[in-house]
This record gives sequence, C-alpha cells and structure tokens, in this order.
Amino acid sequence: MKSSQPLIVRVSHTFSASAERVFDAWLDPSRLGKWLFSTPGGEMVHVEVDPRVGGCFNVTERRDGEDVEHIGEFVEIDRPRRLVFLFQVPKFGPGRDRVEVDITPLGTGCTVTISHELAPADIDSKDGVTKGWTDILAGLDRVMAERS
Amino acid sequence: MAAASLDHTLIALADPTRRAILQRLSAGETRVTDVARPFAISLNSVSKHIRILERAGLVRRRRAGREHYLSFTPAPLDDAAAWIETHRSLWTARLQALDAMLQSEDAAAARMRQLPSVRKESPR
Repeated sequence: MKSSQPLIVRVSHTFSASAERVFDAWLDPSRLGKWLFSTPGGEMVHVEVDPRVGGCFNVTERRDGEDVEHIGEFVEIDRPRRLVFLFQVPKFGPGRDRVEVDITPLGTGCTVTISHELAPADIDSKDGVTKGWTDILAGLDRVMAERS
Repeated sequence: MAAASLDHTLIALADPTRRAILQRLSAGETRVTDVARPFAISLNSVSKHIRILERAGLVRRRRAGREHYLSFTPAPLDDAAAWIETHRSLWTARLQALDAMLQSEDAAAARMRQLPSVRKESPR
C-alpha cells in the first residue's frame, strides 16, 4: 500500500456571492437552519452555533415527528477561506466524519468545495487491523472494472 | 457514520491483499488453496483476509468434500457506491439551498433599495 488516502466525497459549487458572505452563512445561527440540513417538509426546531475552534453547532430538524440532530465540532475556522468540522448525526451512529469547506474567491463570487471524509466505525481495532483508508475508491474502481 | 455493513465493505476493500483476492475471484470460483498460492504470506493470514471478505459479504464459500471454493459476490460494492452517491447528492443539494438563500437575500435587498423611489413616483 503506497500512499494512504482516506475515502472522500467531494462536491463543488460556484456562487455569485462573495467568499465572505458565503463563509458567514455557515456560522450565522439565524440563517444556518434555512439551508444546511433543511429538508422539504422538515421543520427546523433548533439551531445553535458556537463559532470557535472546539465549539459546536447543532442543527435539529423535525422529520416525520422525529427530531434529527446534526452536530459539528469546529476544528478550523479561517474566514473566509476555510472551515473544518467533525460531523455527526447521532441518529445514524456514533462515528464522526471530517468535513472540510474550502472557499476560493472567483471574480466577484467564489467556489466552494466540500470534502467529506468517511469515518468507518472502529470495528476492526480489536482485530489489530490497521485502518489506513488506502485508496479505497481506486480499489472500488478496479474491482468494479474487473466485474464488467 | 457509515452503516455497519458498509463499514465492513470499506474495511474489506482498504487492504491491497484483499483487493487482489477479489480480483482473482472475479475471474471465477476458485479453491481456497489456489487463492492463497500467489501470495507470499501464510495460508493462515490469507484465511484471515478471506474471513474479512466473507464478513463483508464480498466472498461466498462453498464446501465440496474436503475442498473449499470461494466466489466473488459483488452486491456490497453497489451499496458502497450508492452510499457515496447519496452523500454527493446531499451536499450538492445543501450548496444549492445556500445559493438560493443568498440570491433571495439579494432580491430582497434590491426591493428595499427600490422602495423610496417607488414612493416618490406615486404620491397617492
């Protein structure tokens, strides 16, 4: 296993709004619940943001009568370029995924890239198996290619 | 945050020996001893890799007399790919929602700027 790379889901979007406006929308509790983790038919019941390294956000939406919490702990806050948090949805399990938000100015707007690093549950630690998330996507691609 | 079965799949795929085993099995059902042969490790450690692949549902074992045969069962790979695609589309939708919110703020600000002139033009 040569290089060790985690499995990452990466998504980009280009905004006409400035990097500062886009960045601030992540930390403003009065606006965060209007877009992040808001789903059609859901009712936002709690939005709390403590915007400092080590601080947390909690965005809770009621979906079909059930409150779904989204919790993040801020690891890096570098306005307006970068925001990193450890992300957890307790309803779906105890694991915390690392999410990086990179904002690059582009003309009068900006491009946002989300990198969501998948965190598998620590199920193999007792087997002594090292979890180097090595090149899994490439592994998937190779195996899928072999199938066809 | 991955579901337990997906954890098993991803952990199974995280190792080059296990990926090599899957590649070999993708050519067709193979005896355990033949699977182990190309690897410069003991049959015992190959067996451990095979158990991790079986736990993930990526490999099925068939016994015929004293021989054990392995075959590749790829369905869990589709689950993993689907999980990745789900997260991709969730983040895409969230960023689109953020863009829509910022644009509606812009539109509201533009309407506010127009208000005084509207009043001037219509004294009634």
